[in-house]
Amino acid sequence: MEIKRITNERLGETVFCARHSSGLEVRVLPKEGYTSAYAVFGVKYGSIDTSVKNDSGEFETIPEGTAHFLEHKLFESEDLNAFERFAKTGASANAYTSFEKTAYLFKGSENIGESLEILLDFVQNPYFTQQTVEKEQGIIGQEIRMYQDLPDWQVMFNLLKALYKSSPVRIDIAGTQESIAKIDADLLYRLYGSFYNPANMVLSVVGGIDPQEVFDIVERCVKPVKGEASERKFVKESAKPVKKYVEENLSVAQKQFLLGYKEDIAEPLLALEDELASQVMLEAIAGKSSPLFKKLLDEELIDMGFGTELFNGFGFSCVMMGGTSADPEKTADIIRKEIKHIQSSGIDPAAFERAKRKLYGRMVMGYNDIDDTANLLMNLHFNGYEPFAELEVCKALTLEKAQQRLAVLKDGSSALSVISPIA
Amino acid sequence: MPQVRMLADGVRLVSEQTERFKTGRITVTAALPMDERMAANSLLIYLLKRSCKEYPDFSLLNGKLDELYGASLSAGVIKMGEAQALTLSMSFLEDRFALTDESIAEQSAELLANMLFSPCCENGRFSEESLAAEKRLMVQRIEEKLNDKRTYAFNKCIAHMCSNEAFGKDKYGTVEEIQAVSAQDVYSAWENMLATAVFQITVVGGAGTDRVADIFEKNFAKIERRPVKPETVFIQRGRHFNRYEESYPVTQGKLVIGFRAGIKNSRDNIHAVTVMNDIYGMGTYSKLFVNVREKLSLAYYCWSRLNAGKGLVLVEAGIDTDKEKKVSAEVLSQLSDLRNGKTDPEVLESSKRSLKERYTFTTPEDICSWYASQTLEDEIMTADDMIQGISEVTMEQVCDAAKKLSIDTIFMLKAQEEEAENDGD
Repeated sequence: MEIKRITNERLGETVFCARHSSGLEVRVLPKEGYTSAYAVFGVKYGSIDTSVKNDSGEFETIPEGTAHFLEHKLFESEDLNAFERFAKTGASANAYTSFEKTAYLFKGSENIGESLEILLDFVQNPYFTQQTVEKEQGIIGQEIRMYQDLPDWQVMFNLLKALYKSSPVRIDIAGTQESIAKIDADLLYRLYGSFYNPANMVLSVVGGIDPQEVFDIVERCVKPVKGEASERKFVKESAKPVKKYVEENLSVAQKQFLLGYKEDIAEPLLALEDELASQVMLEAIAGKSSPLFKKLLDEELIDMGFGTELFNGFGFSCVMMGGTSADPEKTADIIRKEIKHIQSSGIDPAAFERAKRKLYGRMVMGYNDIDDTANLLMNLHFNGYEPFAELEVCKALTLEKAQQRLAVLKDGSSALSVISPIA
Repeated sequence: MPQVRMLADGVRLVSEQTERFKTGRITVTAALPMDERMAANSLLIYLLKRSCKEYPDFSLLNGKLDELYGASLSAGVIKMGEAQALTLSMSFLEDRFALTDESIAEQSAELLANMLFSPCCENGRFSEESLAAEKRLMVQRIEEKLNDKRTYAFNKCIAHMCSNEAFGKDKYGTVEEIQAVSAQDVYSAWENMLATAVFQITVVGGAGTDRVADIFEKNFAKIERRPVKPETVFIQRGRHFNRYEESYPVTQGKLVIGFRAGIKNSRDNIHAVTVMNDIYGMGTYSKLFVNVREKLSLAYYCWSRLNAGKGLVLVEAGIDTDKEKKVSAEVLSQLSDLRNGKTDPEVLESSKRSLKERYTFTTPEDICSWYASQTLEDEIMTADDMIQGISEVTMEQVCDAAKKLSIDTIFMLKAQEEEAENDGD
């Protein structure tokens, strides 16, 4: 493997990158003074993958929640399961599924090489039977139930359902009780074959480990199968939301809300510059030091939990703002007006500089954490960026760009999701 | 090894100097008895976080934090045994990453000291306006606990179990108590805290610890200290077993089983008790994970949590309401196996390895909270001490620790059928 070194001088960090002959991308950031390491083995296969390209090149629909189901099942094997194997090295292993990816990970301070071999091995060797799949339906069924009772989760998915008509981003990560009932061992094997090929995956390791050791283990343990990165179907959605308002009653103490602005995107993915400019813009107009935040707080419409985020991925991009409120509609109204006002008056340059400085500081702080750093390196790769790209892009952000990103927020593309207490 | 120094009577500085991280962290912890001042104390810490003399307004203070490269400031209230611990913490970028020549660490320490010692007060009281705002947020914070049914059930079990002990109280005080607090009450809570609380200033990072120590030492020198150390009652055996239930229109039921751990103080047999709890229900090799989840697929989560500060172990599970008996029988049957030595020796080794990892901290926040949680301990224990102690635990000691567990209280949050749908408007 040819190893490329990418250094960021100010940060004082170097990432070693290499592409294995199978197409697997490997990124290692060794950290001096750290005994622990964190490794994440990710596959570009998430809850939005509700279709797969079949042999005849056509997209075929698959049940919702398959990526998450596979995540649970890969820990199993004919002999010792992955948890039992990691118990022997002491590493703590886990996995998660998001909208766009599935990630398997461990963190450990001893026998790191051995843990890395286990990680590569169990993810490359699926084993399940109809019986173990059925057992998992019970466990995942409880997981789905747990999320159904979480108001934060529900307010977000209700908003996504209000904003998006057909994008699979509107579906719960784990699927539904009905969709997981359709999953069987044969289907899982078939989907494993479609998505889990090295060209569709990345290994990212950060912490107290020698990069060469990682590359040697990859050479030894990664199967030389040739594959291609999986393809996703981009369905362009209308800029209009499905519904302007959606409300659900749950067992909660106060109303919660999420106001969403759907972005009309021509391409499936946002450029990193747009993404970061949106983050700075949101901080400048609605962060804790903004006039809007103060106004809403003074009028007793929000609490300190009020927050904003840009929520984007393949085929979707929207801005979400929300929290707890006694009067969500009035709050949303004030926010909408303030956005329109700043769209015409312009973002305060001092607020922009402060927000940019904050984002930069938080990004540098993120490199503290081996977990965050490894996940960041993985995400940058999946989106086609080199390590540290985000820092350079952040430094170069301009007020004009932030202003452009603010202009994207259009009243006609917004929707409000509210969770209210059961009367 | 951390540096430990007394800055004033009952004010301890614990600092770990390291260049490993890109951020530094300072946590100020003030421990107070859980008495009639609890509500005023809770409001106090959030008022101190809101503004100070130098930055008298919420937006100005947050603007200053943004300028400090997004330094993050947090306040909190936790139960530390039967003490109410108020915390103020800041995480900030290490000086070497600043874009200009300035010390972020010093500015952060100064800011924290300003908040603590020079709050925004006039004529011996906090502003009515700020107090009203913080009261509203606090009431919301208390009521919001209902939203997360897992935590709600967990707290409810403790409230029933410790109904005759200070630990059974809500950490913030009740809504009624919060409403009754006056601007003068908070001011006197502030004076009381500075004079009587047991303080610990925990510092992690490359910052010149001496400079941080100076800032706090100078300020505490102006205060007449008469610290009062809060004490915790340890009840070693559950006396009357009780079961409580509540019903809510939710989809998943929550079961919480509370045990007394049978320890005399927060350090009593701590290594064996930690390993016992881990084998019982913490790791993926634990009895509860392997049996309740993997073998019987009754739950997505079923785990046990140790609170050494009060000597409790609580088992939690998210289950179908009609499976309560089946799950609690299995939870108790697994405890019986643990007591009787029916544990694979390999699991003990797994647990020790895993615990070693858990005490190998990788962020300044982890290190800081490890030390800060020891505010009321006479001796600071390092994570290495903990790991060493754990490595020496035998299976026999694990069984003995498990035998000391006694069941006390069950709390079941039942999922009731949704009636709202048919009610109509």
